[in-house]
Amino acid sequence: MKITRTKAFKVFFKPIWESNPVSGQILGICSALAVTVQLKTAIVMGLALTFVLAFSNFLISLMRNIIPRNIRIIAELTIIATLVIFADQVLKAFLYDISKQLSIFVGLIITNCIILARAETYALGNPPLLSLLDGIGNGLGYSQILITVGILRELFGAGKLLGFQVVPETFYTAGYQNMGFMVLAPGAFIAIGLIVWLQNTVSKE
Amino acid sequence: MSDYIKPIVFAAVLSIVCSSLLTLASTGLKEYQLKNIALDKQKNILKSVGLIQEDRAPAQDTIGRLYADSIRRMWVDTGGKLVSEKQKGPHDLSVYLHVKDGAVQSYIIPVDSRGLWGRILGYLAMKNDGTTVSGFTVYSHSETPGLGGEIEKSWFQKNFAGKKILDDQGNLVSITVAKGKVKERITDKRQQNFVDGISGATLTGKFLSEGLKLTLIEYEPLSEKFRKNRTK
Repeated sequence: MKITRTKAFKVFFKPIWESNPVSGQILGICSALAVTVQLKTAIVMGLALTFVLAFSNFLISLMRNIIPRNIRIIAELTIIATLVIFADQVLKAFLYDISKQLSIFVGLIITNCIILARAETYALGNPPLLSLLDGIGNGLGYSQILITVGILRELFGAGKLLGFQVVPETFYTAGYQNMGFMVLAPGAFIAIGLIVWLQNTVSKE
Repeated sequence: MSDYIKPIVFAAVLSIVCSSLLTLASTGLKEYQLKNIALDKQKNILKSVGLIQEDRAPAQDTIGRLYADSIRRMWVDTGGKLVSEKQKGPHDLSVYLHVKDGAVQSYIIPVDSRGLWGRILGYLAMKNDGTTVSGFTVYSHSETPGLGGEIEKSWFQKNFAGKKILDDQGNLVSITVAKGKVKERITDKRQQNFVDGISGATLTGKFLSEGLKLTLIEYEPLSEKFRKNRTK
């Protein structure tokens, strides 16, 4: 059997483009608007979410047979919250400046709909390894959108990428101006809208 | 019966495991975090007197060196006299001095203000004339990002540079965060005592104005000494 036909492959790659959590299912928009002013924060946020999602899926799937049905959401949220606080503590210890810029949005990963949605719809009914792959796939799908929006916003909004000047000085002297609009939240809204449009048009064919 | 007990036992075990893991992580990482926080405070003090800029933050050891070279920590007693750590009394206030070639350029007052959701911590740097603000920074707050959270952004903080804490009669009026733009809302005579507000964050502005005023009243004896040039 070809590798592209295996279940694991599909579980991993489907959420990256075809059923992308942000552009396909329109989940997690709030943080995608808030942390994409710069590419750097977008990357760190993507990594933090991927970490949380991968491990929450894995752990919840491991415990899926012993979690009592009537308190399953509470149990899931406890695990998710533990992972999120852990990620936040690590960021505060080693990437303090970025953690300050991300401010409350790392903590808000707890309420990110993508994570609970994957736990409920996938991890509770599938074995741990597949759930782990599903978590990483969805995390990367989310990161991919964040990074794309981050690149668009930092490039057009500030003329930089990762803090380095990309648009040359001669452009500015020739009359080019940074789009202040891209730095504001509506800029991200439009960028995400365009990605959703692209996604819908491409996947229909 | 076991139907009732199982969820309770499960929840209890899960909570204990999760909380002990978090305690472990938090104590293990505390040292690094405290170091970061201390460095961030130094950076903010340097930023408030304009020794470093927001967008071009230098390397860590440069910050440490700059700080050691130009910032002195002192205390102010109730009469407004500067005293060193050894002589300080229990009610003396902390202040940082920006020293260049042996002369005090500005004094930096720690600000601890109420905010809408939590405390706002920062620094207000005053020039050595005791009247003019040299800069303002915030290093810790819990305001809403995008609204009150804008107090940590440089566009808001830049407004403070050059403003006066005295009105034209020489009374202490502190710096007030205006509702909207200063140029449109405030009469010419009083513009020097106001900074541009943040739209959608009227309450944050109100609390911060109150906090600044209380702080400046506390430090008024020191400011007065600076105005009369009698700090020594």
